[in-house]
Amino acid sequence: MTVVLVADDDADIRDLVAFKLEQAGLEVVSVEDGQAALEQARLRRPTLAVLDVSMPGLSGIDVCRMLRADPATAGILVIMLTARVQEQDVEGGFSAGADDYVTKPFSPRELVSRIQALLTRARA
Amino acid sequence: MPRNRSVGHLLTRAFGAVVGLIVATGGAEATALTLQHRVVKQLSEYVQPLELANAELRTTLGDAQRGLRGYLLTGDGQLLDSYYAARTAYEQSGRELSDLAHSDERVSVDEQLDRADEWWRLAEQQRLAPPRSAAAAAYVNQGKPLFQAFQAENEKLDASLATRAADLQRRSSRLSEVTVAVVVALTVLAAVVALGAAGLTARRITRPLARVGAVIGRRRAGELEARADPERGPTEIRAVALAINEMAEEHERIRRAEDDIARLRGEVRALGYRIRAHLKVEDAVREAIEGAAATVGADHVLLRLAPGQTDVPAVVSLRDEHAGGVLAGLTESDVTWLRTGDVWTSGDPGPAAETGALAAFPGPVLTVAVSGGEELLGALTLIRDAGAAWNPVEVRLTEVIANDLGRAVHLARLYEREQQLVARLRDLDTAKTDFMSTVSHELRTPLTSIAGYVELLLDAEAGELDPPQRKMLDVIARNTRRLRELIEDMLTLSKIESGSFRTARSPVDLVALTDHALAAVAPAAAKAGVTLCREVDAALELTADNEQLDRVLMNLLSNAVKFTPSGGTVTVSARREGDEVHLAVADTGMGIPPTEQQQLFARFFRASNAIHQAIPGTGLGLAIVRTIVDNHHGRIAVDSAEGEGTTVRIELPLR
Repeated sequence: MTVVLVADDDADIRDLVAFKLEQAGLEVVSVEDGQAALEQARLRRPTLAVLDVSMPGLSGIDVCRMLRADPATAGILVIMLTARVQEQDVEGGFSAGADDYVTKPFSPRELVSRIQALLTRARA
Repeated sequence: MPRNRSVGHLLTRAFGAVVGLIVATGGAEATALTLQHRVVKQLSEYVQPLELANAELRTTLGDAQRGLRGYLLTGDGQLLDSYYAARTAYEQSGRELSDLAHSDERVSVDEQLDRADEWWRLAEQQRLAPPRSAAAAAYVNQGKPLFQAFQAENEKLDASLATRAADLQRRSSRLSEVTVAVVVALTVLAAVVALGAAGLTARRITRPLARVGAVIGRRRAGELEARADPERGPTEIRAVALAINEMAEEHERIRRAEDDIARLRGEVRALGYRIRAHLKVEDAVREAIEGAAATVGADHVLLRLAPGQTDVPAVVSLRDEHAGGVLAGLTESDVTWLRTGDVWTSGDPGPAAETGALAAFPGPVLTVAVSGGEELLGALTLIRDAGAAWNPVEVRLTEVIANDLGRAVHLARLYEREQQLVARLRDLDTAKTDFMSTVSHELRTPLTSIAGYVELLLDAEAGELDPPQRKMLDVIARNTRRLRELIEDMLTLSKIESGSFRTARSPVDLVALTDHALAAVAPAAAKAGVTLCREVDAALELTADNEQLDRVLMNLLSNAVKFTPSGGTVTVSARREGDEVHLAVADTGMGIPPTEQQQLFARFFRASNAIHQAIPGTGLGLAIVRTIVDNHHGRIAVDSAEGEGTTVRIELPLR
């Protein structure tokens, strides 16, 4: 079963995303900060990670960069959740190696469809 | 020993020779005249009177002889009377002749007179004899040889005198000739010497003088290295050449000194630019101190700042130590005794702290007030360990440096204050942007939850909904969307106003941009039953911020579609007009009431008819559009009639 890691410091959003992904038949691991996200990523080896950009401690961008730096986790797909639309944030996310990003507030439907698209592309 | 080639010497010798010759001529002439005079005197005073006396004696004696003989032969008493007259005259003329004669003629005259006296003795005897007697006749014959003896002596003297006169005349004539010859010769010689000296002098003066003149001419023509030759020509010209060369050297020295001053002025001017180019007081001070030491020339430079003027240290110096100990003494001295424009050199009267520090110091010290405007900022002090006093040029240059430093410090302080102000404003602006950013982020997070969960509910993820529930959730969803748009627009406006969007200026393909915007609103237009029209030039490019222009088009088009009822038309046109692009979005919508058209671009303003018809909107769209147009130095105008439609026109410069 495909494992998806969801990291967001806001529990409501975490639950929303987790609920929607589980509905879609994916196994979800939820964490509330960057440090936990890194640990779970190494432990559970998810196929994809949904990372909130602004989290206390390690930001989503930091986590993404660290995942990419470690050969064991470099292959994990990453979708960034960003509350900002400023270009430098988006550029920061992509230069850190994110595969896609979604701006808050987002539609859960749209998020799930983007995740499924990424997974399909990765499998192909 | 070099030959004395003085013209004066030559002239003196030449004149000496000429004068000698003239004197010699005069002497010769005088001698000749004296000799001539002596000859003439001998002739007129001796020879000729002697001749006359001799002739008279002969005549007298002849008369006596003829008278006596006649009487003796005829007995005529008359004849005897003439004898007596002659005897009386003889007394006279005989004595006269005897008186006149001397030297050579003396003997001859005495002889003649002896003969005459012999005749006279006989004649006295004859006179007593009876006339016409035989005795008388014998006497006549007896007296004849005596008379002839006298006559012979007389003639001998006459001949001797004639010879002597001729000799004297010949001598006189020869003397004249010799004199003339000598005078002519001397005169010619004098003339030759004078002419020769004149010629030689002229040649020896004019040529070297011409050479010296040529040198002066070359110098006047700008050939400043031209020098006269002091080894050629007579002493006087060599002296002139030497003097000219000395003058040239002096001139050269003055010129070099002037060049030096000009170069120093240039250096100080350049230093001034460098000093004033600094925007930090510390840098300007450092530049001035090092520059003053290098250009004016000082072993030590010290800047003391008046208290409370700047935040740089109160004393800045070229070096930390000064062997003379002057530095330590001076730093203790407060500079507030100086006034703007003051110049103080060691030796001038000054406050005790200042003079005391310099009391035993041998080198020259120069202190110049550094002022910004009327305000004393500090004092610039130049110190030399030894040497002469500061010259006026150095003082002047130091004043210029101090002046530049004063201005630089003044400006730097203003600049620093301004920088502080700018930094504060920038901080404020950043704080505002950060605040807006944080607020929008903080609002977005709860909005995400609200919108997400409403979506879940509407998607019946939590079970089927009945129609009233669905209607209520739709209201929540709509207002969530509105809130979200409001946040986006506020953030956008804040960013545009803070200028963070102003950076990206690049060529923008307006045709592509228009097509993109039309495509974006096409679904909404189709849903609302609005026809989209496009009147755009084939190619249109301008320099602008692509994203901002896209926002302008999107805002205007979505507004137009939103306010146009079904069956209406929205037309976007773009064309080039000179060096501008004219962009217009026209609709056939509800229009804007005339009284409200002025407020259209104000934030959060919404037209009353839009509010009345519950058409959603934030009231920020046109405010954003106007700000963007302003950022691009463009113009925006709205032309609207209520119930007929609205046209928004934008004119943007091509670059």
